Amino acid sequence: MRNNNETLKHIINSLIPVILAFALGAIIILFTGNNPLYAYWILLKKSLFTSKGFLDTLHYASPLILTGLAIAVTFKANVYNMGVEGQMLLGGFFAGLVGSSISVGNPFIEKFICIIVAIICGMAFAMIPAILKVKCNVNEMVVTLMLNYGVVKVLEFLTTGVFKDKSAGYVATPTINDIAMFSRFGKSRITAFFVIVIIVLIVMYFIMKKTKLGYEITAIGKNPEFAEACGMNVGKKIMVIMLLSGALSGMAGAGWMLSDQFKYTLSFSGNPGLGWDGMLVALLGGHTPIGILVASIFYAALKTGSDSINMYTSVPKEIVALIQGIMILFLAVKFLKEKK
Amino acid sequence: MALLNSILYDTVYHSAPIILCVIGGIFAYKANVLNIALEGMMLNGAFVSVLVMYFTGNIFLALSSAILTTLIWGLIFSYFGVSGSGNVIVIGLGINFIVPAIAKFTLNMMGVSNISLQNISVSDFKIHIPIIDSIDIVGSILSGHTFITYLAFIGIIIMSVIMYQTKFGIYVRVVGENEEAAISLGLKTKLYKYLAILLGALCAGLAGINLSLERMCMYTNDMTAGRGFIAIAAIYCGGGKPLESSLYAILFGISRALAVNLSINAGPMAGIFDTIPYIIMVSVLATVSYMKFKNVRVRGYTF
Repeated sequence: MRNNNETLKHIINSLIPVILAFALGAIIILFTGNNPLYAYWILLKKSLFTSKGFLDTLHYASPLILTGLAIAVTFKANVYNMGVEGQMLLGGFFAGLVGSSISVGNPFIEKFICIIVAIICGMAFAMIPAILKVKCNVNEMVVTLMLNYGVVKVLEFLTTGVFKDKSAGYVATPTINDIAMFSRFGKSRITAFFVIVIIVLIVMYFIMKKTKLGYEITAIGKNPEFAEACGMNVGKKIMVIMLLSGALSGMAGAGWMLSDQFKYTLSFSGNPGLGWDGMLVALLGGHTPIGILVASIFYAALKTGSDSINMYTSVPKEIVALIQGIMILFLAVKFLKEKK
Repeated sequence: MALLNSILYDTVYHSAPIILCVIGGIFAYKANVLNIALEGMMLNGAFVSVLVMYFTGNIFLALSSAILTTLIWGLIFSYFGVSGSGNVIVIGLGINFIVPAIAKFTLNMMGVSNISLQNISVSDFKIHIPIIDSIDIVGSILSGHTFITYLAFIGIIIMSVIMYQTKFGIYVRVVGENEEAAISLGLKTKLYKYLAILLGALCAGLAGINLSLERMCMYTNDMTAGRGFIAIAAIYCGGGKPLESSLYAILFGISRALAVNLSINAGPMAGIFDTIPYIIMVSVLATVSYMKFKNVRVRGYTF
């Protein structure tokens, strides 16, 4: 019974910020001279209440689930890996390069290689702040934020220069081979990548709830000194957590590349990027796998809806980014006290 | 020689906004409420000053509204973080999200991609110091900057005095080091945290005005480009000491100036130079932290 109570509090604590953010957003929409209820209806109608729209929403939610998990494993341990965006971009970029240059014939092996390459890239990126944190005691948040800017610039340089597709009329890397692409199910955009994401989600649920590592993540998050004093090798665990986070982010990038984008452009991850969206998803979902699933579907619906809001009303689509920011702000505060 | 001159001039030019963020941010850092919203607050200063200037043409109104709105962000940050005891990192992230979204929203409503001011030019803001201006090389480096740029460098001294010579500075540090002790002494710990954050917001707002209105007379989206985070890295490197942290900010200024000036001659390689400042900051941060903790001999992981 007490457990149920805690879950309820958890849900309420996630719902209040959403409601407040939408209420504030409504006031802003009123100022632009539109009807907020109509705007919100437009925002959610297509993406949640039609079968094609809902499947599209699931498609857009897939990378968010992975980046959300990547954020959740680190934030839960009070390690702030802000580099998820950069790790995701790096993974996506190299998955795209491998997908366009190497052709092994078998579509399964081809995709497998692309995803593995992306995972390695994500892990390599995450390794830098992890080593610096554990060996030199550098704040991981600052390092990952800085490296994000660095990665964006490097990829921009590579895309506009070395790896630019000469035949394309705009700045992009070559399109990946057909066998590397995930094919769509029916008319909607959803692909087999969503199935892979759900498998990863189940594995992560198992890791976070049932294994020693999951327990250790929670323990480090609550009190690292105590965890260390109990004989846990906190430094080593932080490395493992960061690598796990990097792998998930890299995989998100690969999936987005192979199932949606097919080539790296400068707006590969949209605005704000998939990594940043993942942060909101993780916070909204209370760092639990099931919460992240629900939150990412909700958020993907908002994001896909933001295109139709631009079409049918005169509200700028940045309203969604604004609502997202307000949500994060309110999510920082726990409205009901949760048991630690 | 001309290249060296322009590198040194640009060093002063690029250091100023970061120094401002650093000398404001150290108080929040010392009070143990790390303010990563500096980035968003700076962008707010940059955006509001240009926006108000664009619509009213009144420079005084532009400056005061920019500073006032940035202080409001500071109040929101402290209300959620100090009074609501929320997670300051998440609050900071939220503000860093909201401010650019507001700016993009407004620009979209106006139907423009950036605001550039027509009735005022960059040279109006440049101050030429009488005597120094006439000295050959020094004049070309030190003279001809804007008011807030000079204020940033003077601010290093002012903030050192506030931090070490005033009651306020001492109390802020006590609150950060040991909050229970501060409470038992009867200090209003929340008040000092609020003031520390607001001081940071004020400086970040000034840095934003410097960035957009004073230097370029225009606002473009995301024009702060991570300077707030670089300031936080500088604060970490310098351990929150005003002078040391500012030196790291100047180091970033140098690397930025190098990147800008070298990329002019680099041709297609120019893009890669943009990464220099970030790489330098990460390496410096790593080295400094390594030196600091080299002699700490604690079993296992240190905190």
